[in-house]
Amino acid sequence: MAIPARRRTADAVALAFAALATAFGLLWLFWILWTTLAQGAAALSPALFTQMTPPPGASGGLLNAFYGSAVMIALGLLLGTPVGIAAGTYLAEHGRYTRLAVIVRFINDILLSAPSIVIGLFAYELLVRPFGHFSGLAGAVALGLILLPIVVRTTEEALRLVPDQMREAGFALGMPQWRVTSQILYKAARSAIITGVLLGAARIAGETAPLLFTALNNQFWTSDVTGPLANVPVVIFQYAMSPYDAWHELAWAGAFVLTAFVLLLNLVVRFLFKRGAKR
Amino acid sequence: MNEFSQRLGIPPLQADAPAGATKIGIRDLNFFYGKGHALRDVSFDIPTNAVTAIIGPSGCGKSTLLRSINRIYELYPDQRATGEISIDGSNVLERGFPLSDLRRRVGMVFQKPTPFSSSIRSNVGFALNYYERMSKSELEARIEDALRQAALWDEVKDKLGESALSLSGGQQQRLCIARTIAVQPEILLLDEATSALDPISTAKIEELIHELRERFTIVVVTHNMQQAARVSQRTAFFHLGELIEFGKTSEIFTNPHEQRTRDYITGRYG
Repeated sequence: MAIPARRRTADAVALAFAALATAFGLLWLFWILWTTLAQGAAALSPALFTQMTPPPGASGGLLNAFYGSAVMIALGLLLGTPVGIAAGTYLAEHGRYTRLAVIVRFINDILLSAPSIVIGLFAYELLVRPFGHFSGLAGAVALGLILLPIVVRTTEEALRLVPDQMREAGFALGMPQWRVTSQILYKAARSAIITGVLLGAARIAGETAPLLFTALNNQFWTSDVTGPLANVPVVIFQYAMSPYDAWHELAWAGAFVLTAFVLLLNLVVRFLFKRGAKR
Repeated sequence: MNEFSQRLGIPPLQADAPAGATKIGIRDLNFFYGKGHALRDVSFDIPTNAVTAIIGPSGCGKSTLLRSINRIYELYPDQRATGEISIDGSNVLERGFPLSDLRRRVGMVFQKPTPFSSSIRSNVGFALNYYERMSKSELEARIEDALRQAALWDEVKDKLGESALSLSGGQQQRLCIARTIAVQPEILLLDEATSALDPISTAKIEELIHELRERFTIVVVTHNMQQAARVSQRTAFFHLGELIEFGKTSEIFTNPHEQRTRDYITGRYG
């Protein structure tokens, strides 16, 4: 049976529109990647990963910034993940039917949408002002606080995706709650929970505002997290604002590495999720 | 061959095995889902070392009855049971009755296979590890024993370390049975345990029920009347939350006393 011409036209128009919209969205992503790559290409060399951030006029790399970022992300994960998974478990399992869970979930949602600069200010008041100087630790706390609600939310959702039958099967064997949770539910929800943590890590990797108030920056190599600590986002911010070409290039290169890192994390997540779905 | 077995297309029922003493005594059991009244004043005795089938149309309360016996319904705060379910004489519905003890003695297998996302070995060893301290070799022996009892050993003995999720549906269900009998319960509750399986897997599990009957008191909920007739010695017919009739399977299927039972087993409704 022939399809009426009008319907065929409508179909073609809708398809063209959808394709255009998709292309429009992708265009920006590729443009961003391309720009960072093209502009930072000059600075993308081994020196980027082996030398410190240079003073004006000298050449250098971003080693101290990469290191500082890695340390603060790791500490942020260390702070946010255990508490986040525990709280998410409470919401999904222990407190499932309680009023407290409703309240906690609501507050968590507020924290989730709090502007990161507010979190930065909070960490500043808590850990910078009383000590009189900026510190990597304060930056890690700020990042941990941003990560926390993401992990709470994704853990709760991951656990809720596990069918109640699995819980019943565990409890029917006479197992106590902690054993059902740790041995059955965590295993079943493992890839979804890890996905949440990794996406959270990708999110805090690019956070700049909370670090401006806390870790600030450090032109030199240091492994002391109680003092100011270099980090990629703030270096990008400062170098991009500077009048020096060499700094601009480093900022672009830093932006490229950061974007590539986030992209890579997302790909890892995809891979994990696919494996989790298959099993 | 009598009229009913002819109609159901099954061989005539074997002579009833002598059913033993009462294992589970149910008195005035009422069950509520929030305001919904799912079981009404149910009283009957489930004999020891025999298979009791619970049949009835959807929503009649068969599964609810099973879920009361191991108190699994307590996971959901809006569900509650009143009355008495006594196992070997003590009322397990009493608040103070230790749940872990109850559920160790009363194993349950669900409609859909529920393998845990871990190896075949640790699925079976999971609860065993919790209840009993034992050496590694002893644990291995107990796991093998449980898998043999569940007629699964030959199919999995070379891949105990593989994920339980790699097994077929029928194998997964036998794994769940193995996992349940590994802790040596006294009672086995099967909640439509074969309804998601193919005919061959179903036949295997029915065979298994025959074998396990000697060691366990088995209660099966089933939608499949042929199955009830094939595997059970006692049958309870439920309708709208009430126990309509309970008796020897052969009698229920050949000469029911109640008109509603007769209508149901002859396929007039349900």
